[in-house]
Amino acid sequence: MNVLIIEDEKALAEELEIFLTNYNYICEVCFDGASASEKIAVNLYDFILIDLGLPDYDGLELLKEAKKSNPEAICMILTARAEVYDRIKGLDLGADDYLPKPFSLLELYSRMQAITRRKFGLKQNLVDLGGFLINLTDRTISYYNDEVNTITKKEFDLIAYLLLHKNRTLTRSQLSEHIWGSVINDDYDSNYIDAHIKNIRKKLNAFAPPDWLETVRGLGYKIKINT
Amino acid sequence: MKLRTKLTLYNTISKLVLVTLFVLLLPVLIRNINQNFTDNKLRRQKKKVLGIIKTSGIKNNLYAAYSPLKDQFYSLDEDSLEENLDTIRNEKRKIEGDTIDYRILSYNFMLGKKSYLLEIGKSIDSIEETTTPLQNIAFVVLLGMILLTVLADQFYSGYVLRPLGQIIKSKLIGNKFPNFGSYKKVKTTTSDFEYLDISIHKMIVTIETTFQKEREFISNASHELMTPVSILQSKIENMFEREDLSDDLKTRLLEMQRILNRLKSITKTLLLISQIENEQFLKEDKISLASLLQEVYDEISIRLQDKNISYEAPVPQNWNLVHVNKFLLFNLFFNLINNAIKYNHENGEIKITATREGSNFAVSIIDTGIGISEEELPYIFNRFKKMRQSLQQDSFGLGLPIVQSIADFHGIKIEVNSEKNKGSTFKLIMPPFLIEI
Repeated sequence: MNVLIIEDEKALAEELEIFLTNYNYICEVCFDGASASEKIAVNLYDFILIDLGLPDYDGLELLKEAKKSNPEAICMILTARAEVYDRIKGLDLGADDYLPKPFSLLELYSRMQAITRRKFGLKQNLVDLGGFLINLTDRTISYYNDEVNTITKKEFDLIAYLLLHKNRTLTRSQLSEHIWGSVINDDYDSNYIDAHIKNIRKKLNAFAPPDWLETVRGLGYKIKINT
Repeated sequence: MKLRTKLTLYNTISKLVLVTLFVLLLPVLIRNINQNFTDNKLRRQKKKVLGIIKTSGIKNNLYAAYSPLKDQFYSLDEDSLEENLDTIRNEKRKIEGDTIDYRILSYNFMLGKKSYLLEIGKSIDSIEETTTPLQNIAFVVLLGMILLTVLADQFYSGYVLRPLGQIIKSKLIGNKFPNFGSYKKVKTTTSDFEYLDISIHKMIVTIETTFQKEREFISNASHELMTPVSILQSKIENMFEREDLSDDLKTRLLEMQRILNRLKSITKTLLLISQIENEQFLKEDKISLASLLQEVYDEISIRLQDKNISYEAPVPQNWNLVHVNKFLLFNLFFNLINNAIKYNHENGEIKITATREGSNFAVSIIDTGIGISEEELPYIFNRFKKMRQSLQQDSFGLGLPIVQSIADFHGIKIEVNSEKNKGSTFKLIMPPFLIEI
């Protein structure tokens, strides 16, 4: 998939490129609005990531242009200007998502995946994990014919996030940012991830030991799938 | 008491006192005046009589006469008194069986070889008969004048003090002070009030500018911090992806990530506070109190489990919060309940109650935690203020400031009651327009 990254902070653009390339996207990078405008007019992209705070261009103008010449592209706004007004305006102008800075790269990937799934209507999103069938669309887990209905919303979020980034270790910070992201509080490390994982293991153990859910000592957790 | 009332009261009382004094003194004054007047009259009459005697002599020799009502008498008599008498005094005289008090002029003089005594008298009753009516008239006239002046005073002080009333009403009470509304000059010709009005206005402008500057600073500073934090976060995340990283380096990266998260939390929180204070949030949501608390519970239950704290929230199902921002209210309750957990003991309790208080609605979050000491209570809503007992806790002192900002934004008042080692109660007092039943 082709991604156009429009970001005037070179260091950040670079990291986005490295990360997305690592996740098998083909990336192009623009550091200013003028060159981005040219690229949008000439090439076709699957994803356009737009930073609203460009020095030479109004990001929202760029979004309009993108919608015009790249109507199929998925447009995401990345911005440090987290004002409600911008958000509403951006979504009104046809942006598919809006990610306020600072964001986690994992979060960016998970949003991109979610939109792709939505846009292309990938219905049956089932993953088999050692006998456990995870249905990402219906958000259910079943073990053969039994549904594991004790799993809470938060716990499912954790499993789904780990599954999306399968075979990668996710740190507690990354996990808690994903599931507590919208909560503003003043804890240094509001880390109840361990407690959540403990609960998940306990609930799944009633059916079968979830060996695929691994603790990476000192770092975090990962879901391991042999491919 | 209002200034105007005080002025009117003072005016009325002081005038009444003066008039009463005057009316009380009136009899004495009138008597004195009358007496002087009578004495002069008697002297004039004496002169006249002496004049007549001088020109025509004492023909009829001696005579005495009194008016029919006995209020005056006149007598000239031969007298053998050696001394020279020339006095005016009060004396009783018996005339035709009536004893009457008279003011009498006595004068003796020599004519030829004989000495005579001239006496002219005027009855005291006739002198004093004007006193009472005069007193009455004076009293009525003065009373009328008092009423008139008090009314005039009242009217004038009302007129003169009106600008002051306007200043107080439009700038100091009613609205929250300082009121940053548009400036409207108070019409007045009194320079003191003009000065007061302008001074208050200048003060408000100064406060407003300072507030505005602080808000802008926080907003700009946190925005500017977001980008570098974002870059660092991405760099750390990408480094984690590297296969060739040693475990030792990974652990250190993790530490960096945690610290960066702390910076991110502080920045985000400050930005949120400045956004709330800049009124960048809409208040258009409607949600029932019970379901909002349920959402908070879903997020926070893991923390309750962790400390084995019991939680109950027996709130009415039909209380709906209206004209609110759900995201903000969620964070308000989250932070309060999170604090109730954080500063609670293992196996402690948290209870949330909802009660009517007059026309207001009160929601209280009651915990059995470590409590807040009396001397620290006034400072708990200050930014970055950390309480002694919370030093060991993982917080940076912005939880309650957020709660305060969100509450202010919605017009919710917070009352805190706490007893050391017993627990704390945070009561949210919501005005009637926030709740629909």
